[in-house]
Amino acid sequence: MADNTDKTRIQVAIKERKRVGYTPVVPDTQLGFVHNNVDCIGCRACEIACKDKNGLPPGPRFRRVMYVEGGRFPDVFAYKVNMSCNHCAEPACLPTCPTGAIFKRQKDGIVDIDSTLCIGCRRCEAACPFGAPQFDPTTNTVSKCNMCVDEIDAGRKPYCVMGCMMRVLDIGPIDKIRDGTHPTKAIGPGDHTVRQVRNMANPDLTNPSIAFVPHPKGRVEG
Amino acid sequence: MSHDDRTHILGSALNVSRRGFIQGAAATGAATGLFRSVAPQEAKAFAYAPYPTDDELVTVPTSCAHNCGSRHMLVAHKKGDVIVRLSTDDGRYQGPEGGYGYDTEEVPQLRACLRGRSYRARLYSAERLLYPMVRVGARGEGKFKRASWDAALDYVAERMVHIKNEYGPQALLDQSYAGASYGVLHKSDQIEGLLGRFLGMFGCRTSSWSVPSYQATTFSSRMTFGTIEDGNEDDAFAHSKLIIMWGWNPAYTFHGGNTFYYMRLARQRGCRFVLIDPQYTDAASSYDAWWIPIRPATDAAMMAGMAYYIFTQNLQDQDFINRFTQGMDPGTMPDWARGQESFRDYILGTSDGTPKTPEWAAAICGVPATDIIKLADLYARTKPAALKASWAPGRNSNGEQYNRMAAALQAMTGNIGKLGGCAEGVGKGWHAEAVAYPYDEFANVWYASIKSDRWAHLVLNYPNLKREEIGLWPRGDHLDGVIPDIRGIFWQGSNWFNQLPHINKQIDAIKKLDLVVCNDSTITPSGLYADVLFPVATHFERHDVALPWYKGHYYIHRPKVIQPLGESKTDFQIYTELAWRLGFGDRYNPRATREYFHHDDAVDEAYLSAWWERVQHHQGVDISWDEFKTRGTYKFRLPRPHVAFRDQIEKGIPFQTPSGKIEILSTTLAQTTDFTRTAWGYPIPAIPKWVEPFESLNHTDKTAEHPFHMVTPHPRWRTHSIFHNIPWLRETYDQEVTINAADAAALGIATGDTVEVWNERGRIVLPAYVTERVMPGVCVVHEGPWLDLDADGVDRSGNPDFLTLDEPSPAGGFAYNTILVNMRKTDLNHRPGWDRIATSRSHVFRRGV
Repeated sequence: MADNTDKTRIQVAIKERKRVGYTPVVPDTQLGFVHNNVDCIGCRACEIACKDKNGLPPGPRFRRVMYVEGGRFPDVFAYKVNMSCNHCAEPACLPTCPTGAIFKRQKDGIVDIDSTLCIGCRRCEAACPFGAPQFDPTTNTVSKCNMCVDEIDAGRKPYCVMGCMMRVLDIGPIDKIRDGTHPTKAIGPGDHTVRQVRNMANPDLTNPSIAFVPHPKGRVEG
Repeated sequence: MSHDDRTHILGSALNVSRRGFIQGAAATGAATGLFRSVAPQEAKAFAYAPYPTDDELVTVPTSCAHNCGSRHMLVAHKKGDVIVRLSTDDGRYQGPEGGYGYDTEEVPQLRACLRGRSYRARLYSAERLLYPMVRVGARGEGKFKRASWDAALDYVAERMVHIKNEYGPQALLDQSYAGASYGVLHKSDQIEGLLGRFLGMFGCRTSSWSVPSYQATTFSSRMTFGTIEDGNEDDAFAHSKLIIMWGWNPAYTFHGGNTFYYMRLARQRGCRFVLIDPQYTDAASSYDAWWIPIRPATDAAMMAGMAYYIFTQNLQDQDFINRFTQGMDPGTMPDWARGQESFRDYILGTSDGTPKTPEWAAAICGVPATDIIKLADLYARTKPAALKASWAPGRNSNGEQYNRMAAALQAMTGNIGKLGGCAEGVGKGWHAEAVAYPYDEFANVWYASIKSDRWAHLVLNYPNLKREEIGLWPRGDHLDGVIPDIRGIFWQGSNWFNQLPHINKQIDAIKKLDLVVCNDSTITPSGLYADVLFPVATHFERHDVALPWYKGHYYIHRPKVIQPLGESKTDFQIYTELAWRLGFGDRYNPRATREYFHHDDAVDEAYLSAWWERVQHHQGVDISWDEFKTRGTYKFRLPRPHVAFRDQIEKGIPFQTPSGKIEILSTTLAQTTDFTRTAWGYPIPAIPKWVEPFESLNHTDKTAEHPFHMVTPHPRWRTHSIFHNIPWLRETYDQEVTINAADAAALGIATGDTVEVWNERGRIVLPAYVTERVMPGVCVVHEGPWLDLDADGVDRSGNPDFLTLDEPSPAGGFAYNTILVNMRKTDLNHRPGWDRIATSRSHVFRRGV
């Protein structure tokens, strides 16, 4: 159970929250993820690295490697879409939080939840189009990927990225990832990134900070 | 928390009007943070507080230890004596050239896979064995009570002496295996392991010689090349123009620390990929491979069809054949075999009247002749091309013929000994300095040695069986041919009871034994059938050095990260102390006194530092033992990618075969007159041939009753059975039976339905995964779930080894992939794990398009 003993503080926070509006933070640099849907072997080392790093019980999965497959035997295809929290430019979760526990960092745009303020109402879980907030039944709170802020603040990369056996997952300034100027092994020679792949919610909803190298079958028009 | 509580919380969350709430938030948007009266505090970002950051923790480089196809680095972050998280190689641990993020093609990071990353959950699992236990219920009932070390050790020592005196030097069966795996000091292994030395020195040991994963492949490599070191280093794959993954899924089974990554580099450089497999694997999708679905156990036939095309189109590398092979064609037959059947004679049908045409092959393997021709043409014309003949198709009835046939293809196209080519096979790429404990004339002493999957057959039929039925290894003394009377089993690093074929037969056999001893860090299904459980310290709790597994050229230091949990001891401590009680403690562990059972640090350090001196001398390593310990890892820089047999091809050094050539015609096999006197027991052709398996989809008499061919590959989320009890891994993957959508439709089965799969040997229950990615008529059940019998003897875990047959191929290959089964939707229960709350959610994250 998270240390939520300071009930008074939570009550005050709720009261205040109703008067405090949401002005989206415009970060100095927006960090984001890039994932290569094709070259990913779907090993889920990133998922388990994340579970271990964050000490999660069975249930909540901050990072989720989704397996997509299709076609008809023997003409089939498969690819992976790997997503955690997209640290959106306009996070849908943030304004739904009644205690103001969700915040976006000014310096790098990381969206995080203050675990001491979360009351486990799960509104953020419902609001997120990407399934990022994860309810933890052992603590009755919601938590999610914070891009390993301790690692970021120490000048390193998150555990999922550093655990990627195929080097297909990376982070960087999202605008540089998108215009191809960020050096990363996730994007191979000749690869180009997109904002959206099939089966993924419309990025216009929240402007997620993530780019994908899509599978040909995972491309969406436009 | 009760179920009702949870429903209540969920209900209140759902009752909130989300739309109304968002509007409310927007309406107050003009307000600012000035009115906040909450005292500013540092946000607690982590799911649990206090979250220890790295500056509060001690980081200790170490490695994984389990028996997978690789060896990766782990870094333990510990607080006091508790590991709070694990990370992996990030480039900082390789001496002066390294640094955070250092990761080059020459010196890549050794990043651990999902299993390695879950080690903390295994270390502190509920199934962790902490105290010596002795059985109080019936064998297999799972009832134990805690015992003192003294009592447990005395009991075992007393029974050992009794059994040896009563039944002779063959009465104890060594079933150690590589579960606790490759440390140089604390090693469990069939040949080099600590148990073999212990039982051998005691003077009572029957060894198990066939290796479950790849015995057919080992046989093929030995016969063809004279060695199992037929592997390139993993970085050589980056130089291929064509990679044929034959039954190989490098996305699941990691042969080498970075093989999968080097293959990605190959693809970026224009390499083409082909997969021959009943399943469209993740490796196929990642490397955009041309998928050729094939009927299981018919691989050798398809290869023969390819060889026919290559010979008849004259696409073979005749110069290579003439210089380096024996028996490929009439011109390369040795004098003593002049006029006998060569491989070319067999393929063209000049000897048996049946040309092995692509059409002939197509009828057997189900691959259209046009595809066989297309692949043969591609393989013969693309240089260099790597045909990686993996182990799984060898785990079949007559599986050795597949591997021998693959070697013939590799040789006839001249792809051996060349960068970008491939002679694998076994794939051992590097010979490490492997043993730090005493390995002398007492190591691997045995008084009988049998095919590993025949022990139950032996115990149930003793003494009324022939030596060839159990693959008795020949000896030069009076014990040759003596059928062993097995009275006890020792397990070290082994869950073989759960992993060998035909488990129901093993359940019958084990009841007949007098002593079953299990060393393990975890309670396993095997442990449940033991009389005595010795708790073993994991590799985090003992001092060792990790070796790469077959590929990879590096060593990783494995310090004692934390103190052993509970009363656990190392295997070496346990066998040393047992040896003292049996009167040979000083010989078994010559650097130790009896104090070793309580204090092992100094002795282990002495063994390891002496071993490092050998590394320095034999392998030209220039850093000291202390420097190695400080860095945590030593990665060799090779002047060029290691390619097996390069010296033989470039410098003309003879191969290690009797003829010094690549033996397509095996001298050993051709000159064997009585196979019953060999360990194989039954005849094996001297040249690679298609030999009908004992069952397959082509056996219409059998498919009427059991219409599906089941294959049982290695899973990604377990190493064999290790990690089955890890909830993190179980929520990412189901133990399921994979079936083709058309077959499923005919049976009325949908993904997620519970299905029972059965044949005459057993019945298992597990959920179905319906997909277009597996060929019709084939089903896939991954090996290794922990057996879990219901009252009627039905396995609820979905362990395929209740259905496999303990009928090895002549060369000793286990027939794990030669199984016909039937299946249907069922009301029987599946249990994903021994714990009650276990759920798997992988199907939630799978979507059809």
